[in-house]
Amino acid sequence: MAGLELLSDQGYRVDGRRAGELRKIQARMGVFAQADGSAYIEQGNTKALAVVYGPHEIRGSRARALPDRALVNCQYSSATFSTGERKRRPHGDRKSCEMGLQLRQTFEAAILTQLHPRSQIDIYVQVLQADGGTYAACVNAATLAVLDAGIPMRDFVCACSAGFVDGTALADLSHVEEAAGGPQLALALLPASGQIALLEMDARLHEDHLEQVLEAAAQAAQDVHILLDRVVRQHVREASILLGD
Amino acid sequence: MLQKREKVLLLRTFQGRTLRIVREHYLRPCVPCHSPLCPQPAACSHDGKLLSSDVTHYVIPDWKVVQDYLEILEFPELKGIIFMQTACQAVQHQRGRRQYNKLRNLLKDARHDCILFANEFQQCCYLPRERGESTEKWQTRSIYNAAVWYYHHCQDRMPIVMVTEDEEAIQQYGSETEGVFVISFKNYLDNFWPDLKAARELCDSILQSRRERENESQESHGKEYPEHLPLEVLEAGIKSGRYIQGILNVNKHRAQMEAFVRLQGASSKDSDLVSDILIHGMKARNRSIHGDVVVVELLPKNEWKGRTTALCENDSDDKAWGESPTEPMPTGRVVGILQKNWRDYVVTFPSKEEVQSQGKNAQKILVTPWDYRIPKIRISTQQAEALQDFRVVVRIDSWESTSVYPNGHFVRVLGRIRDLEGEIATILVENSISVVPFSEAQMCEMPVNTPENPWKVSPEEERERKDLRRSHLVFSIDPKGCEDVDDTLSVRTLHNGNLELGVHIADVTHFVAPNSYIDIEARTRATTYYLADRRYDMLPSILSADLCSLLGGVDRYAVSIMWELDKTSYEIKKVWYGRTIIRSAYKLFYEAAQELLDGNLSIIDDIPEFRDLDEKSRQAKLEELVWAIGKLTDIARHVRAKRDGCGALELEGVEVRVQLDEKKNIHDLIPKQPLEVHETVAECMILANHWVAKKIWESFPHQVLLRQHPPPHQEFFSELRECAKAKGFFIDTRSNKTLADSLDNANDPNDPVVNRLLRSMATQAMSNALYFSTGACKEEEFHHYGLALDKYTHFTSPIRRYSDIVVHRLLMAAISKENKMEIKGNLFSNKDLEELCRHINNRNRAAQHSQKQSTELFQCMYFKDKDPDTEERCVSDGVIYSIRTNGVLVFIPRFGIKGAAYLKNKDGLVISCGSDSRSEWKPGSLQRFQNKITSTTTDGESVTFHLFDHVTVRISVQASRCHSDTIRLEIISNKPYKIPNTELFHQSPPLLKSELVKEVTKSVEEAQLAQEVKVDIIQEEYQEYCQTKGRSLYTLLEEIKDLALLDVSNSYGI
Repeated sequence: MAGLELLSDQGYRVDGRRAGELRKIQARMGVFAQADGSAYIEQGNTKALAVVYGPHEIRGSRARALPDRALVNCQYSSATFSTGERKRRPHGDRKSCEMGLQLRQTFEAAILTQLHPRSQIDIYVQVLQADGGTYAACVNAATLAVLDAGIPMRDFVCACSAGFVDGTALADLSHVEEAAGGPQLALALLPASGQIALLEMDARLHEDHLEQVLEAAAQAAQDVHILLDRVVRQHVREASILLGD
Repeated sequence: MLQKREKVLLLRTFQGRTLRIVREHYLRPCVPCHSPLCPQPAACSHDGKLLSSDVTHYVIPDWKVVQDYLEILEFPELKGIIFMQTACQAVQHQRGRRQYNKLRNLLKDARHDCILFANEFQQCCYLPRERGESTEKWQTRSIYNAAVWYYHHCQDRMPIVMVTEDEEAIQQYGSETEGVFVISFKNYLDNFWPDLKAARELCDSILQSRRERENESQESHGKEYPEHLPLEVLEAGIKSGRYIQGILNVNKHRAQMEAFVRLQGASSKDSDLVSDILIHGMKARNRSIHGDVVVVELLPKNEWKGRTTALCENDSDDKAWGESPTEPMPTGRVVGILQKNWRDYVVTFPSKEEVQSQGKNAQKILVTPWDYRIPKIRISTQQAEALQDFRVVVRIDSWESTSVYPNGHFVRVLGRIRDLEGEIATILVENSISVVPFSEAQMCEMPVNTPENPWKVSPEEERERKDLRRSHLVFSIDPKGCEDVDDTLSVRTLHNGNLELGVHIADVTHFVAPNSYIDIEARTRATTYYLADRRYDMLPSILSADLCSLLGGVDRYAVSIMWELDKTSYEIKKVWYGRTIIRSAYKLFYEAAQELLDGNLSIIDDIPEFRDLDEKSRQAKLEELVWAIGKLTDIARHVRAKRDGCGALELEGVEVRVQLDEKKNIHDLIPKQPLEVHETVAECMILANHWVAKKIWESFPHQVLLRQHPPPHQEFFSELRECAKAKGFFIDTRSNKTLADSLDNANDPNDPVVNRLLRSMATQAMSNALYFSTGACKEEEFHHYGLALDKYTHFTSPIRRYSDIVVHRLLMAAISKENKMEIKGNLFSNKDLEELCRHINNRNRAAQHSQKQSTELFQCMYFKDKDPDTEERCVSDGVIYSIRTNGVLVFIPRFGIKGAAYLKNKDGLVISCGSDSRSEWKPGSLQRFQNKITSTTTDGESVTFHLFDHVTVRISVQASRCHSDTIRLEIISNKPYKIPNTELFHQSPPLLKSELVKEVTKSVEEAQLAQEVKVDIIQEEYQEYCQTKGRSLYTLLEEIKDLALLDVSNSYGI
């Protein structure tokens, strides 16, 4: 049997998308009542849930408090049933820790932390189903949750992954495409200013192609922004109706 | 917008558990349908090819038909084929990459009227697989459903025929929708293409071979060969060093017994093996065929064998000689095949008598391939008797471990055995050269240039290009009658007193857009093929002979390089690259240019440009031209001297002529003395190539196409050194400089042939110059050994080489990059370029082989009609240039033939020469020494042949039914041949090869005349080809270097 053809001569990917097209995105804000902010997102078959608490006083050791800004605490976990083969540990493994750190870096760059000195903001993200692009789904879910909690941010943070196959950059990789082993780049963007909150890639990619892949990822992140913006507006409209304004 | 669906797959993991996987599947309303009847062309957004509109119906093959009968669907006569994505994926998953790539290439090929319709991504065509439905049924159902949709999409205007092998489907869908017919493939061919006999025959032959295979797998008896190991084991074995990977190379002269594996990649570095690995016998070869990438296991040292050095004909009686072979070399056996390189093979059916001996099983027939290196192929056909006198193409299907020979099927007929056209077609197929005429779609892309509608320089181009029409005196120097002028030259004095040298090359890339149909075609051809009597162009003649050709007196686009040189020292101060418009003032030929250079002005009557001028202006213009040529020569001498200092090899001079003798179609343009202008033009071209190589490499260090000539292995020079020693010369091969010097010194004043042979041996020892991508190789390896340049590429002949087109595009991109402009079009990535280089190198090799083979074909045809015993021309003088255990290799300067002459015949008799030096066969023995061989008869007479001895040989043709005829040499005297009328050999002009071609062509023509009315075609063609036989010396030089090393396998046997 021949290997999978990630990009056909006619320009279709395995799942029928073209190179720059995103998977279907559906999102909802305010899914939990007891949390300060919460959101649920589906990017294709990748599903993630984000919950935000804060800003509140530092819990645990006081020594961790920062005098000039808020502490952002991120935790990532994925459900044992999220992948094809069942996982042993839902959280606390090396990969989850790394993902937590990356989320923290991303949101420290986006949240206006200096407005809440000596306090703490908790972001908990859980992946219910993993089908490629988990980092991007987590960032997008967390953005909505932070917005839902009403924590001031510089801008949305929109994330998207991109890969590179046969000289073409592919946006928003699915699990099949990730598993094929090509280079994969994850990008978190502040869409209004176009600033990069986080850029991560751990495979070999020729320098000449980097720009092209980066551009594809940035364009995809801008597209994500349009969708998230629509979700937020919808949510605010519904909330204001409930409030009776 | 896209619709999301989900697809559930059940996969089996390595542990054997089933895994349920959910994959997304997106559907879209508009998928390009590639039909001219499409009602919404905007929505369907067609790019790429469309189906042609002049078909009566569209045909949609079912998945099974695509899998099994792809070869028939490749027929260009079948038009309007729609391949459904479902079918393509079935091929990909079940038939593997080779077949799938064939399908992909078919879809990409502009000449074939077929398209792919992505039915699974179309929202109305997609059908989810139902629970419990088999894949096969679902595939057929999807394809039928898509066919119906397609029919309605084209507004019911075009009937659609779905061809399938599934009887149930024919029953079920046959009359379900009006306008969509479902019939079997055989039925389709019979009803719609009754005239296409070849396709129907092929269809039968495929069917039959499939049936045979099924039978066979049922009754599998005793195994002939060990099974191949599974891929994982092979890969692990290669990694651990237990097995060795390499390319199988069968010895042409002992195809039954000897094959060698050339090491490949990393394994050669790790292990201490230096030489190739011998594979002895068919059993050890284990079903691999010449050219396959195989995995070899070494045998223990006590089983190692040596290669044979005796001369032999390709006979099956391999024990006949009983020679003691040379010392043992690493020997191994094949344990697996990584990549099969099966291609189309030309074969001959056995004659009637032989069929009888093959037994009653007349259905299965063993056919003999034209190429000695390919084993016999077993095919099943009923047409064996009808095909007896024809050359036939077959393909290999499989080679089971239970069968001695591979199974194949018959594809098509090429032509009669010994018929010129048939034999030429054979050579083309054997070299995988496909030269169908340019298609309409390709010609549509060409600009028009007719008397009513002449081609003009467009104003936009005029703005963007530098106009040299008035400022520069541009002229070209080419062989007489040359039509495709690639290159022109100019030289002038600047205001500051410095000189400006310009090289202007035809701007082919302006007319050939990247990835256009014509570009794809040119890429496939990669080069213009020159055979002995004809040529196959890479570009249509409207470009190659007209719009791209830099003819005199007309405006043409060019790409120019202009150097500013210091007025006295000729140091390069500045260089400019760019697109220009030029008007060549003179189209000179070499002889005229040389006369002007020598100050012999009477030649001007031969130059048409001067004819209509009055005396005064003629004088002024002439002075200008003479000055330019003189200056150019001066500069070239200077540049050459600089390169010589670095050790450029002087392989031109005498060498050119030796090589050219073998390549007769260009033979007659080589003057007796190479003129200095030849060298001048060549030097300017080398300079241009060198500077372009530097420029593009600086702009794109990792993805440009350059040309390297690796330094040769010292071991290969040992034969050259030995031979030279025999004559008392010392050849120093340590560097290119010392080699060049010592070759110059090795000159025997009494016998100029010695130097020619030594030089040709030197070229034989060198490796081929190759194209490569700079990203694939370290910078130190870019070096060009023969020209002694650190970077070199091909830039100056874009009309006949695709590599030059690539380099032109790179240069244009480099210029845009320098000017901070956007680079138009995508450049090749390193990986693609590597692939392309491999393809071009491969095609160049095919071009050389086909040229050589066609030359040999003509030589044989020439000598075939002559009776060797009476005809004076069949007896000639020959020089011994190599010694083997049972014979010698002889070079015949008069005809440029190299061949073997036996000193011991089949009955074990040896040659002896009496007092009158006439030779006879007598019982005796042979004794071989380093540089001589002695034949001693039982009655004490002995005769000794030394290297470089002149002998008299008789040339005859050994006819062969299944293979190409070969020239046979027989020593009839050990004294040099004396031409009756006291004329010395050196003064007798060598027989012009073109005369030979003419003679053979004529006789063929006469034979044809007797048969049919097709009279003038060949003569006309010959006239036409004659005109463009002319090519500059520079290109010849390049070719010599290319030719440098023929297949090393040649040197094993003979």
